[in-house]
Amino acid sequence: MWSNALDPLLRRRAFLRGTLAGAAALGSAGVSVAFDEPAAKPLAGPTKNVLFIWLAGGASQFEMWDPKPGRETGGPFRTIQTSIPGYHIGELMPKTAAMLQHVAVVRSLNTEISEHEQAADLISSGRPAEAGLEYPEIGVLLAKELTVRETLLPDYVSCFTTTEGRRRPRVGFLNAKHSPLLLEKSLRPEHLDLPAGLNESQHTSRERLREQLSSRFAARRAGAELANGYNSAFAKVRGLMQSDTLFNLEKEPEAVRLRYGKTPFGEQCLLARRLIEAGVGVVKVARGFWDSHHDNFESHRELVPDFDHVYSTLLADLHERGLLKSTLVIVLSEFGRTPVINQDVGRDHYATAWSVALAGSGVRGGTVYGKTDPDGKTVVEGQANASDLAATIYKAAGLDLHKEYQAGLRPVPLAKEDAQPIEGILA
Amino acid sequence: MNADPAAVDPSKVEPAKVNPSAFDPTQAKLVSSCKAPGTLYCQWFDEAGNKLYGAGSDGALHVVDLSAVTEAATKKWPLHENYVTGLVKREAVFISSSYDRTLAWTDAETGVLIRRVPAHAGWIRELVMSADGQRVVTVGDDMQVKVWNAQSGEALSTLSGHASQTPEGYASALYAVAVSPNGRHIASGDRAGEVRVWDVEAGKPAASFRVSEFYTFDAQKRARAIGGIRGLAFSADGARLAISGIGQVTNVDGFVGPCRVEVWDWQGGKPIFAGNDKHQAVLNHVVFCQTAPWMIAAGGGDGGGVIAFWNQSSPMPQHLANPKGHVQSFCLDSDSRRLFTAGHEGFQIWQLG
Repeated sequence: MWSNALDPLLRRRAFLRGTLAGAAALGSAGVSVAFDEPAAKPLAGPTKNVLFIWLAGGASQFEMWDPKPGRETGGPFRTIQTSIPGYHIGELMPKTAAMLQHVAVVRSLNTEISEHEQAADLISSGRPAEAGLEYPEIGVLLAKELTVRETLLPDYVSCFTTTEGRRRPRVGFLNAKHSPLLLEKSLRPEHLDLPAGLNESQHTSRERLREQLSSRFAARRAGAELANGYNSAFAKVRGLMQSDTLFNLEKEPEAVRLRYGKTPFGEQCLLARRLIEAGVGVVKVARGFWDSHHDNFESHRELVPDFDHVYSTLLADLHERGLLKSTLVIVLSEFGRTPVINQDVGRDHYATAWSVALAGSGVRGGTVYGKTDPDGKTVVEGQANASDLAATIYKAAGLDLHKEYQAGLRPVPLAKEDAQPIEGILA
Repeated sequence: MNADPAAVDPSKVEPAKVNPSAFDPTQAKLVSSCKAPGTLYCQWFDEAGNKLYGAGSDGALHVVDLSAVTEAATKKWPLHENYVTGLVKREAVFISSSYDRTLAWTDAETGVLIRRVPAHAGWIRELVMSADGQRVVTVGDDMQVKVWNAQSGEALSTLSGHASQTPEGYASALYAVAVSPNGRHIASGDRAGEVRVWDVEAGKPAASFRVSEFYTFDAQKRARAIGGIRGLAFSADGARLAISGIGQVTNVDGFVGPCRVEVWDWQGGKPIFAGNDKHQAVLNHVVFCQTAPWMIAAGGGDGGGVIAFWNQSSPMPQHLANPKGHVQSFCLDSDSRRLFTAGHEGFQIWQLG
C-alpha cells in the first residue's frame, strides 16, 4: 500500500526500496533512457499527475454527456439527474451522475475533423497538422513538465491493449527520450525479467562493474554530465525491474480489484491508480472501441455501463486516497457521434458538437460548460476547439501556456498562440 | 401473423390454400413504398381493413391504406413516449410494447388509451400474440419472458433464466420471442446466443441451447460485441425453430458479417439447417412461410437492406431481394403473395411471385 501523504520523490524511493543493484542492458520499448531536464520552474498549481482516459473510436455524447431525450436525434435512452442541480446525463451512467461534483463537463467542442487518425492527432496534440513540424502530444509535454528530477519510474505510461485505433503517443519535436512506456500486450511491461542463465547475484556483480567503469570513464574522459545520463538510464531500467510490484494487480487487495471489476478496462484503471499513487506523472488508458456506425444503442448499452462503473470507481478511489486533488483526470475521444441516426441504427463520426469531461486537480468540479442546440447539431454557447482544450489541460496542470520550446530554429509555445483556455471550468 | 385472430379457434387454424408452385420469390418485386419518420420497428397487417400499421422510433402509430398507397404514411396518434417495438391488433384494440417498459392497449378507432401496464424492468424488445389471440408475450432487458392476457392485460406468468450478462460480463439483452402455433411453447433468444424454449403450462424451460455463431465478441481489436438472436419463428408443426441474426462479424463497429439463419430441432437440441450468405447484414426477423416450403428473413447492414429466401435445399439463399434501407420486421398476407416490410425507409410492399 502506498502512502498518500508522501511527496512523490519519497514515494518513488519507497517504490525502489530493495531495488536490484545490478545493471542490465535491457531494452524496454519507449523508456526514457537519458537524463531528463527538470521542469523549468516550480509548478504553479497542485497538479502532480494527469490521467487520460481515451475512449477510442469516438463515444457518443448523446448517450453520455449531452443527451437529447424526446428529440428525433436523441435516441431511446432517457436521462437521470446528476449531483449538479439541473444537469441530466444519459441513464446509462448512474454512478457517474453521483460523482459529478468532481467533474467539469464541456459540451461545446467543435473540433471540425471527423476522420479517425487526423482527429486523434488533433485532439492528442491540441494542434492542427502543420507541414514540417510534428508537435508532441499533450501527455508527452505534461510528462516532461510534471516529472521531477530523481524519478526512476517512467514519466509517462500509455496503456492500449486493444489494437483498433491504437496510438503510440508521439514526442514530436522533443527528444525520443520522452517517449512513454507502452503497455500493449499486457499490463506488465515486457523484457523485465533477467535473461535466462543470469541470477540476481550475477546481475548485481555486473552492475557494480558497470558503475566502476562508468565512474572511471566520467573522471578520465567524458565528464559527469554524460555519465549521469547513462547512469540515469540504467537506474530507470532498475526501477522498471521492480515493476512486478507496481504492475502486478495481484498485490491489490481482492476487495479493491472487485471494486473496479476484473474487466480489461477496470484493470487498466486500477493499474493507472497504482501508477499515479507511485508517482508516475502521466498515465493514459484506452478503452476501445466506440465506433458505432451500426447498432449504436446496443454497443453503448454494453460500453457505457462499463465506463460508468470503472470511471466512477476510479474517481471515488482517487478521492478517498487524497489523490484527486493532485490528479487531473480527462475523458476524451477523437470526436463524438452524429445527431442523425442512420439506417443501421448507428451514429457516424461527428466533430461539430461534442463533449469531454475533466475532473480533479485544477478543475472546478460540478461545472457544466457550453451548450448545444436542442438537437445537438451545433454549439450555441461556449464553443471551444482542440487547441482551447489543450490549453485548458495545460492550465489545469499549472503550466505556463507561453513557455517556449525550440523546434529546430523555431520557438514554439506550449499552447497554440490563439488558444483560449476554458476558464469557466478551471479552479 | 396476419389477420385478426381473436375469434379463431386454434384447433381449426390451417394454412391458407395456395398452390406452393405459385410461390416464386425469385419474382419478388417492390410494388410500392411509403415513408414514415425515423425507423419503424414493428408493423401489423390488417387484412380485413386492407391497412398496414406500423410504429417505431417516434413512438407514434402510422398507417398506410393499401387501396391507395401514398408517398408518406399517415401519422395517427402517439402510442408510447419512447421507441415502439411491438404492435398487434386484436379486434378493435392495438396492443403495443415499447422501450418505455410499458404495454399499452389503445382503441384502434379513436386512439384513446384503454390501459397502460408497466411490464418490464428494462426495454421491451418484442411483443407477439398467440395464434388464438388470447395471449400476448413480451421479452425485455430484465431478461424475462412474460405472458399476458391479451384482453385484460393481466400478467399470467413470468419465465426467467436468461443470463443478465454476456460471457464477458457486459449487459446482455433479450431480443426475440416466438410462440408456437398451438400456443404451448414460447421461444426466446438473447444477445449472447442462448435460445430457450419454454413450456407455457408448466412455466419451465423445455429446452435450451446456445447458438454461438450469432454472437461475436472481439476481445483483441475492439473489446466489444455485436450480434445476438434477433429473430425466432416456429414451423407450422411447432417442431422446428428458425433463428436469425448475423454470423461471425469481422468488424464489430457494424453489421459486417454474413447474414445467417439456422433451423433447429429444438426438442432434439440439434441444428438441422444453417443458411448464410456473403451479403453482410443482420437478419432481424424470420418467418416460415405457411403456404410453401420457404423460410424468409430480412434485415440490413453493411451490404444494405436484404430480404433472403431459403427453400432449405442449400445453405445459400435461393433468392435475395434488396429493399430500400434496413428492414426491422415484416409480415406476409394470408396467401403469402404479398410481403410488407417496416424499417428505416418506412413501409414497403412487395409482391412475391
